[in-house]
Amino acid sequence: MSETLTHGEWNRAVQEGELLGQHCEECDHTQGTPKAACPYCGSTDLETVELPTEGEVYTETTINVPPEGIDERGYQVAVVQVGDARVMGRLVDQEIDIGDRVVLSGFDEDDQGNATPRFEAQ
Amino acid sequence: MARAAVVGADMTEFGVHDRSLQELFGEAALGAFADAGVEPSAVDAFYFGNAMGGQTENDTHLGPKLASHVGIAGVPVQRFEDACATSANAFKNAVEAVEAGIHDVVLVGGVERCTPETGKDTAEMTRIFASASHRQYEQPTGLTFPGVFALFTKRHMHEYGTTEEQLAEVAVKNHGNGALNPNAHFGKETTVEEALEGPVVADPFRLMDCCPFSDGASAVVVVSDDAADSYDEPVDVGGVGHATDVVPICDKETPHVTQAARDAASQAYDQAGTSADEMDFAEVHDCFTGAEILASEAIGFVEDGQGGAAAEEGVTARDGERPINPSGGLKAKGHPIGATGTGQIVELAEHLRGDAGERQIEGAERAVAHNLGGDAATTVVTVMEARE
Repeated sequence: MSETLTHGEWNRAVQEGELLGQHCEECDHTQGTPKAACPYCGSTDLETVELPTEGEVYTETTINVPPEGIDERGYQVAVVQVGDARVMGRLVDQEIDIGDRVVLSGFDEDDQGNATPRFEAQ
Repeated sequence: MARAAVVGADMTEFGVHDRSLQELFGEAALGAFADAGVEPSAVDAFYFGNAMGGQTENDTHLGPKLASHVGIAGVPVQRFEDACATSANAFKNAVEAVEAGIHDVVLVGGVERCTPETGKDTAEMTRIFASASHRQYEQPTGLTFPGVFALFTKRHMHEYGTTEEQLAEVAVKNHGNGALNPNAHFGKETTVEEALEGPVVADPFRLMDCCPFSDGASAVVVVSDDAADSYDEPVDVGGVGHATDVVPICDKETPHVTQAARDAASQAYDQAGTSADEMDFAEVHDCFTGAEILASEAIGFVEDGQGGAAAEEGVTARDGERPINPSGGLKAKGHPIGATGTGQIVELAEHLRGDAGERQIEGAERAVAHNLGGDAATTVVTVMEARE
């Protein structure tokens, strides 16, 4: 069994400008967030991989009614295809559409230190 | 052979209530007992759903509290929590228990308060709802529940050309149906123009694309197939499918196909020995207009990509070929999280008995309910049939 990527390691990588994912050696699936086993085949033979830091917007929305704790309005949340995996993050430029090319440009963080990738138009 | 039967069904009005959880649930439970013609002493188990009472009202060990309130203290009670699919999951487990011969007469239901009566405003409640998304990989982005379904719906629009006008048509249809439902949160019709003028919550969703925060309760009495004939107007449960999908959203293979709903629907149809084509109507989880479009495809009522067009062309209208949400759905009937799943079962039972009043689907003999929870991660699909 190979090492298992933790949230802490994934989180630190985002803060250092890298995106880590997992590749399943059994079924060849690549995912953008760490798990103890592959969600598609159950194998624990997961290799930590560095994902590309640029990609294409898979889907996005602009949130105008935020939850308690977020003061701003009109921030854009997206799922971005990076290589064979996808990650969720924020988009810094408004008006980025599905299919647009974006590049990792930093991170946002909640009050408990959970980071989320930030992308901007390429 | 049916897996079980519903012999009593009732719900409160969904809307704003200033009563406590036990009093709200008591109305639905005692109504279901009366409808079934059973005394509380005949009930031998209670399967109960509440999703957020701990966060919204500092009220957690609700099972025995509600059992005591409705006269069934002493029976085994289990509480289910599965985000918006909470009481459908309770119902599934009750059907399995009755079918396995573990219990004979089971009370199943749910209750929730989500309106400012809880003391929580919109921002606080938005945060509590968002707790059903992934804590590490979704919540830190500031994702909300309208945002979750907006992400699915925007991709569907990109793939198939679904339009904002088609989303608005879902709201118009469901408000029209809700106007005929005395238990609905919203009893007022709307128009496409009005829907398209509303403020944007999370694009493409405007205010009228979103279901309300509601308070309410629903309850049903479930008995075995054998026992059902000794009750008036039993309604058979043919199948209950239950599936989950990968979380978070970014790791789902094709988020907008809502795979869990497809898996649960095929299980439910297979168990009942039927198919989508045989269904006379559906109640689906339209927490947002886009969610109804995805659900209409996932349960096999319309072809993939055609959900928007089906709403626009009236296919899913009450008098259309494939009626969806004659109750008004979550959009107009309301969405008291833990009460929604069994609320759908109540609606199915009323139509299959011919008791749905002005919104009755004429001659309905078979129907399907689709109750989704979390970021499309849990779905429970139930097929019910009128007993011959």
